Amino acid sequence: MAIDKVIVTNAAALSAKYGKTGFGKVGAALKKLIAADAKRGLTSKLIALDSKTDMAPYGVPVASAADAKAVKAAIDAIYAREKPDYILILGASDVVPLVPLKNPVYSAGNDDDRFVPSDLPYACNTGYGTDINRFVGPTRVVGRLPDLVGAKSPDYLLKLISLAANYKTLAPADYQQYFGLSAQVWQNSTSLSLTKIFGNSTGLNLAPSSGPKWTVKQLSPRAHFINCHGAHRDVSYYGQKGDSYPIAHTAKNLVKKIVPGTVLAAECCYGAELYDPVLTGGQAGIACTYLGEGAYGVFGSTTIAYGPSSGNGSADLICQFFLHAVIDGASLGRAALEARHQFAGLYSHMGPTDLKTLAQFYLLGDPSIQAAAIVPHGLNKTKAFQSAFAKIGDAGVRTLRRERLHRVGTSLKKDLPATRATKPGAGPEPSREITRVLADAAAESGLTGHASLHFHVAHKASLNKGDGVKRTVHVLISAPDQGPKQQHAAFRKVVAIVATAENGKLVHLKRLHSR
Amino acid sequence: MEWHGTVQRKVIRRGTKSEHEALVLVTSQGEFKLRRVGGNPFHDETLDQLEGHSIRCAGELDGNEIFMSEWEVMD
Repeated sequence: MAIDKVIVTNAAALSAKYGKTGFGKVGAALKKLIAADAKRGLTSKLIALDSKTDMAPYGVPVASAADAKAVKAAIDAIYAREKPDYILILGASDVVPLVPLKNPVYSAGNDDDRFVPSDLPYACNTGYGTDINRFVGPTRVVGRLPDLVGAKSPDYLLKLISLAANYKTLAPADYQQYFGLSAQVWQNSTSLSLTKIFGNSTGLNLAPSSGPKWTVKQLSPRAHFINCHGAHRDVSYYGQKGDSYPIAHTAKNLVKKIVPGTVLAAECCYGAELYDPVLTGGQAGIACTYLGEGAYGVFGSTTIAYGPSSGNGSADLICQFFLHAVIDGASLGRAALEARHQFAGLYSHMGPTDLKTLAQFYLLGDPSIQAAAIVPHGLNKTKAFQSAFAKIGDAGVRTLRRERLHRVGTSLKKDLPATRATKPGAGPEPSREITRVLADAAAESGLTGHASLHFHVAHKASLNKGDGVKRTVHVLISAPDQGPKQQHAAFRKVVAIVATAENGKLVHLKRLHSR
Repeated sequence: MEWHGTVQRKVIRRGTKSEHEALVLVTSQGEFKLRRVGGNPFHDETLDQLEGHSIRCAGELDGNEIFMSEWEVMD
């Protein structure tokens, strides 16, 4: 029998966290989830990646729970044999690790993330690696139902499994009202995002001065879109006006206030980071709290995110694409995959911050959950249609959708050029024209000191673009040791100049603004 | 762990959604953003008094951030 959904986890890691009794409860809960999936027409299979028995049909079991390379190989082997429509990763990063991808824009004092913990590689047919360029063509529908890092009680995980087993697809109208929240400084960008998703931005809340004590009524819409600051190991999202960063949204205030079925897209830095709540006084982060309070899914970032001060880009776009697909009736996992496809497909080549964006956003939640129903065509309501599809339900058309998603991902992998950093002195050095333009733009923008990063864009042979064309990307970023705040007060919004060149000739120039 | 250094205010994480002015401990081992567990990570008024001072602090280093449990002004 074909497997529609695989649930992968690490039994030893779960057992170590919860003991024999707790582990047994998790197993029993998963049986109920698999039974509930069956009632929805999904054949689901639980595979412990560390079990010799479970992994026997596929290959080598995972010896160490922390070994992302072995986990990637195991999931690849399972996918190759079963071709499931959904991959549910069960557990937080101390059960099934995220892959530590190298951050292409790591710069001490600026973007401090040396690595981008990511589930993106698990969605790709490409073998293990830490270069994000390897994973620009995802084809698999993947989501992660986390437990709490370091937890000793399985109660939180049991609750999430139960929620997944008992979810109900709601009417599209239930997701057409929204809770929108933005740092005041990003009002224009967030308004634009909301208008693109919902057709208006009249419900946007700004921090300051709104938040963080939201009422049940304010949080009652099931679609949540948040564009605020976030921080590593922190339980809150923050607004901003000038030098004021008030708490806009905080985990402890969400208890008993999240309506079941809520779906959150959070642009915030570290907005969906998984960490041990012991580090924050026992309070889990916002993403995990949403899920624990009944949200079906959270789409957010593991690390520092990017976006322009006005207009849309990077985090704005990938979050928009996700929520739009959810409202359009996609399963949460398909929405995440389509968001990645749409985002990667926007570009002739992905710049270094684009690569990071693609890798850092991921789905927390069961990927097979369909939150909003698809608006049916008239034919779907006929007796003939319902009789014809009574037995197979959605399975047939899902196969067609997976075929399309596979084609899109494969095409991106085949055609998107790789954008790789070059070592100092190894070239490509910017041409004199590029150097002059960057210097002029930096001077006009008030960047009196800066660090530079250089990248070369390697086109794939499939694009017939390689002959004689050398595309390079050159980035000037203000040096981290710029000094006192007065020096920057007038120019805080200007942070980097990015020039794209072909054969040394400038073809594109943009100025990145802080958020 | 324990660190010694000078507290300076700097703009960090330029070009990201986390860009902000932060108090940074400049030490011989490098520069680290200073935080307090439970403090506002973007502007912690409790730590403002440390700006410009030489301090000794104890806490936990996580990534590029020191989560201080205690500190002492040395100058």
